[in-house]
Parts: sequence; structure tokens; C-alpha cells
Amino acid sequence: MKFLRNIFDNAHAALNKSEKTKKYFPLVDSLDTLMFTPNHVTKSGAHVRDAIDLKRTMMFVILALIPALLFGMYNVGVQHYLALGESFTFMEAFGHGALRVLPLIVVSYGVGLGIEFIFAIKNGHAVQEGFLVSGMLIPLIMPVDTPLWMVGVGTAFAVVIGKEVFGGTGMNVMNVALTARAFLFFSYPTKMSGNEVWISGFKEMKNDGTLVDGITGATPLGDLAAIGKEGASFTSLEGFNQAGHSLMDLFYGLYPGSIGETSVLAILLGAIFLLKTGIASWKIMFSFFFGGYLMALLFNGIGGSEYFALPAINQVMLGGFMFGMVFMITDPVTAAQTSTGKYIYGFLGGALAILIRVVNPAYPEGVMLAILIANVFAPLIDHMVVSANIKRRLKRVKTA
Amino acid sequence: MELLSLFIRSAFVDNMIFAFFFGMCSYLAVSKTVKTAVGLGAAVIFVLTVTIPVNYLLENYVLKQGALTWLGDEFADMDLSFLSFIMFIAVIASIVQLVEMIVEKFSPALYGALGIFLPLIAVNCAIMGGALFMQEKQFPTIGHATIYGLGSGVGWFIAVVLIAAIREKIRYSHVPAPLRGVGMAFILTGLMGLAFLGFMGFEL
Repeated sequence: MKFLRNIFDNAHAALNKSEKTKKYFPLVDSLDTLMFTPNHVTKSGAHVRDAIDLKRTMMFVILALIPALLFGMYNVGVQHYLALGESFTFMEAFGHGALRVLPLIVVSYGVGLGIEFIFAIKNGHAVQEGFLVSGMLIPLIMPVDTPLWMVGVGTAFAVVIGKEVFGGTGMNVMNVALTARAFLFFSYPTKMSGNEVWISGFKEMKNDGTLVDGITGATPLGDLAAIGKEGASFTSLEGFNQAGHSLMDLFYGLYPGSIGETSVLAILLGAIFLLKTGIASWKIMFSFFFGGYLMALLFNGIGGSEYFALPAINQVMLGGFMFGMVFMITDPVTAAQTSTGKYIYGFLGGALAILIRVVNPAYPEGVMLAILIANVFAPLIDHMVVSANIKRRLKRVKTA
Repeated sequence: MELLSLFIRSAFVDNMIFAFFFGMCSYLAVSKTVKTAVGLGAAVIFVLTVTIPVNYLLENYVLKQGALTWLGDEFADMDLSFLSFIMFIAVIASIVQLVEMIVEKFSPALYGALGIFLPLIAVNCAIMGGALFMQEKQFPTIGHATIYGLGSGVGWFIAVVLIAAIREKIRYSHVPAPLRGVGMAFILTGLMGLAFLGFMGFEL
């Protein structure tokens, strides 16, 4: 947190130096307020060093999501124009993406916050800021062509059944954004999976015949799962890697997928920010990565289909694994609370993500369901860790 | 390998609770704390692992059409499968009683820990459901049936322990008054079923 404080302090000082830059002061000041108010700390002794509250925590996460969001908008535009076969400038691509993504965000915030307000009035408490992050996560994990009403329905389900029935922010058992996605995934499978939803305007292009030859609209994971089957885009892993799915391509993330999940680079920027400010637990992130990597290595060892043979590092860079690792599994409400529990919880999530992805042909991507399963297991893991501690200490007392 | 696959499938993919919603009554009743849930879960594993093979023998040597051929050729056309419900129930109830007596005699500590749960299992529909699924699936050997029973029991155990841990946790949440207790347990079961759909369709 200290480094951020320093940045703001320096910015204030620099702006105050000349009359010209002084007019930008309100901008920096409002950002400062968003992130550092309230900040009542005790003046002496070892007490409260930083009064970080719910609002500030949520603002930090949203800030961390911004690289992924901006890159997602740009990527939506790029994929759209690539499928059309038209040349485009950076601004055109970004503009198209923004036009497609912003409505999703508006609907998700509108529906979610509306429900939060109703519950706040009914229960007579202040509106909690918890939905701010979920409302941003929900659009980022949707395919770009998701109809707006579906986003609304999913959000409403997740907020009411996933969160408010438990008593609101901080009480839910399963990640709200993923509950919304899982609900939509199982209710409207044709709109949430397959090859035709990942590029904006894909279906219209297909109907009008304006689609460029060779563009299938499939995500890399979809292509991978199809290798060796009829109608697949690629016949071997080498062909897959050469056709724009090398490690660096996956790292930059210019390929079809859910809006925010594709770019490892943008997500890692957010991850660095979250880790530096201490919002996300490095234990969970690390063990999630480790679990997935180990599982992929295990499949490499077993061999067999092309999917099994994909190098472990490529495997964890694909699809929503990184996004889940940084923003989903680390959700402090639904994660395990104990220190040892965090390692187990993260490992379970990562290993299951790769397991479901590779072994289960019904789902090309397993991160969403793996994290939900890890959420379900988290209270039990905590219980086990706590009771093991109690047992160990009891033994110590008895022998002493 | 085949048996391992069967075990994992019966425990996770065809989970008694999340896929079929079997054994809900005791699942809801004893999932208030992890300790009691572990007790009942262990008892269910035990009883399923014992009753399903016994019912398998019953099915294959008494009830099924042509099962009575070992008595003599004149019984080859005999089909007693209309009796299977009542026979299975009788077997389950008597085995539960037997198990109770044996456990009480040889391990009073375990008997004390399981307490009321053992007799309760006689009316647990997961046990009956397991027997009927066994009948439907027509396993080739008694080994398959045993593994199937064990797997189903482990699946039930996991489900009941998981929800017990969650219910212990949400005791401190501000759940709306009408939903407290069983209402919340139903919603939780639904949400957990949503997560467990991740296992559906595993090809092992």
C-alpha cells in the first residue's frame, strides 16, 4: 500500500508546482479519495496502520481489472474486423469493442445494484459495495455475443440466490460472478458455448456470407478439444501451435474467448497490483498455479490424445485459467480462511480446472466449475485445518 | 482400472445427493454439524458396501428371470422380480439390525459414536436407491456391485460432510428469517449441485 501512497503524494507535489498543471489536481484528488478514504489511523503505538475498508478493497480490485477490461475491448474489435476481413486502425477496433462491452457492463451493474438497493431498503442497512467487483467480473467472463437480457437474468440469479439469501456481501459461499456464469452456461448452453459466440457479430456475418474463409470462431481450447475429430481446424498439435497459438500469442491474448480472459499479460498486470496491495492472497494464487501445472505435467506423462500432450505451460496460459487464478479463486469471501487451508484450496482448484478441461469432453473449459467446486470445499478444508490444530495442541498439553 | 473408473463415477459423477437427490431426509436432518455428518456418512458407506453385494446375490440367484435355475430346470421360467422392492427393503432392514448388534458387541465406542444414525439408515432412500440402481445396471460380477456400493457411499459421505461444513459456516450469516435452517439447506444443495455438474460427463 505504501508505494501507492507515495505515488499519490508525489503527484500532488508535482501538480502543485506550476499553475498550468494545478487544474488537473481534482482528477488526482478524486482517485486518491476513491482509494484512500477512509484512512483513520492511530497516531502512536502498534495499532491501526491502514484503515482499509470494503469500499477501498473493492476499488483496488476494479483498478486491477482495468487492464484486462481495456485489452478485452480492443480484442473484441480486432476479432470482429479479422473475421470480416477488413483492415482497421487501433481506434476503430477499440471503439467497436467498447460499443459491444459497455452495454454488458451497464446491464450487469444496473440489475445487480438495483437488486442490492431493494434488499438494502428491505433489510434496513446501507448498500454494501461488494457488488462493484462482481458487476465488473460478470461481463468480463461472458462471451461477447451474449444477449443483454441473459446477462441481466444471470446477474439477478447470482445476486439473489448466490448472495442475498446468505445475508449479502461477505456471507456468500460461492463466487457470485461464477454463479451467474454457471447458471447461464447450464440454462442456455447454445448461447454460452460452441464456436459461434466468441466473435462479435459472428452469426450475422455467417448468415450474410461476409465471413472470411477459414475463420471458425472457435476458441483455442475448442480447437484443441476438436483435434482428431471430424471437422477439426487442426490435425495435430504442431499445426495448432504454428497457427497463431504459440506461447507468446497466448501470452498477449489476441484470440477469441470470453471478453476479459484472453490476455495473460493484462491479467498479470492486475495480479501484480493485487499482490502488491495485499488484496489477493499469494498463497492461493501460487498453489492454484502449482496445482494446474502439476496436473498438466501428469497428463503429459500419461500421454495419449493431443490434449494430454500439450506442454504444461501452454495449458495454464490457455482459456480462463489465469483470469480465474487472479480474480476468481482469490475472492477472500469464498476462499478458505486458514493459512494451510489456502494452499489446499488453491491446489484443489487448479488441479480440478485442468482435470475437467482435459478429461471431461462435455466442457472444453473447466476453470469455472473447478473454482465453484473449490468454493464448496473451502468450509470443509477450514474445518479440517482448525480441528487438526486443536488436536495437535491438545496432545501437546497432555504430554506436557 | 475398470473398477477404479466405476468407483469414481459412482462417487462423483452419479453422486447420490447432487445427481439424484437420494437420501435427502437424513442428509438435511443431520447436516447441522460436521461431527454428526461424519458419523452418519460413515454408517452409510458401511451399510451400502454391505447391502448392495447381498442384494446383488439375491437379485441374481432368486429374483431375476431364470435366476432360480440352480434349483432345477422347472424353475427356469420363474420371474420373481415383482418381489424385488420388498425383498431389498427386508434385506436392508435386517442387515442394518445385524450390523447394529455386531457393532454394539465388538466396538461399543463406535456404536456410541454412531448412536441413533445406524437404525435411521434402514429408512435412508440412498440405500434403497443404490440397490435399485444395482438391479438396473446389471453388473457382471459381485466385485463390481461392491465397488459401486462403496463409491455411492463415499459420494453420499462427501456430500453430507460438505454441506455440514457450509452450514456451520453460515450459522454466522444474516440469513433472512424464513429461509433459516432447512430452506437454506435446500438452496445450498441446489448451488452445490450446480458446482458438481462439473463432474458430469467424465470419461474415465
